[in-house]
Amino acid sequence: MSADPPELATVDRALGDQAPLPRDNGELVFEEPWQGRALGMGVVVLERTGAPWSEFRRHLAAAISAHPATEGESAAGAYYRCWLDALEALLAQRGLID
Amino acid sequence: MSHEHHDHHHPRPASAVELRAQALEALLAERGLVSTDAVDAVVTLYEQDVGPQNGAKVVARAWVDDAYRERLLTNANAAIAELGFGGIEGDNMIVVANTAGVHNMIVCTLCSCYPWPVLGLPPTWYKSSPYRARAVSEPRSVLSEFGVTLDDDVEIRIWDSSAEVRYLVLPMRPSGTEGWTQTELEAIITRDCMIGTALPTARESAAA
Repeated sequence: MSADPPELATVDRALGDQAPLPRDNGELVFEEPWQGRALGMGVVVLERTGAPWSEFRRHLAAAISAHPATEGESAAGAYYRCWLDALEALLAQRGLID
Repeated sequence: MSHEHHDHHHPRPASAVELRAQALEALLAERGLVSTDAVDAVVTLYEQDVGPQNGAKVVARAWVDDAYRERLLTNANAAIAELGFGGIEGDNMIVVANTAGVHNMIVCTLCSCYPWPVLGLPPTWYKSSPYRARAVSEPRSVLSEFGVTLDDDVEIRIWDSSAEVRYLVLPMRPSGTEGWTQTELEAIITRDCMIGTALPTARESAAA
C-alpha cells in the first residue's frame, strides 16, 4: 500500500509565506487542470525521492523571482509555471532527469 | 508538432506550459517517479480535504487549558499559531466565546470570508444568499432550522466576517464530557459548532 499524501496543511507550512499556494478565500485556485497536475506531481516526487520541502521551496522562490508573471498571465498560471521550473531544477540537480 | 483538434470541450490548442506539464508527467511516469493515480490522489485530496480539524484542536485545547483559553480570547492569532496553524489569509482572527447568556454565530454578509486555516473550506450554505441575509435578520429562525433552540433570554451575537477579520466561535464544553481526553473532545467539535450553527454534545462521540 502506498503512503497517503501529506495533508495540505503540511504543504502550506512547508511553503511558508515565501511561496504560498494560490488561493481564493482559502480554496486552492486551479484555473486549468495542468495546474493541479503540477502540484500533484511535486508532492508525489518529494514523497518518492525524500527530497526536503525546503530544497523545493528554494527552487520555487528562485523561479518566482527570476520569472515573474508575464503580461496576460494569471497569478496562478505564473505560480504553477514556476512550480514546474522548480520541480525540473530539483530533479536535474539530483540527477533524476537530464 | 501541430496540435489541432476540434473537440468542443477543448476549443483551444494546449498551451505551451500545459504541454510542458504533460511532458514532465510522462517523463516522470516513465522513470517510475510518479504514477497518474498518485497524482490524482493528491489533487483530489487537496481540492476537497481541508477539514475543520485544526479548529477542533484549538477548541479542545481551550476546553482543557484555561491559560490557553485566555490567550486564545485575547490574541487569537498568536494562540492559534502556537498549535502550528494559521496562514496567509487567516491573519486577523478573533475568537468569540459562547457563554450561558450569549450565543455567537459567524457569517459573511458580503461574500464568503471564512476562517479557513482553522475550518477548511466553507460549506455551500455558508456562501448562499439566504444564510448571509437571514443570519442577520432572523438568526433564531436560522438556528432552529439547524436544530439549535436557544432559550429566549440567550443573546445572539452575529459576527460579520471580512477580508480583514475572521471570527471563530468557541463553543461551550458540553456536560457529560468530564475526564475526556483532548482527542476525544476534538471528535465532537464539528465545523458547524465553530460557525455557531450547532452545539457540541457528548452523545455524538458514542456514535463516532
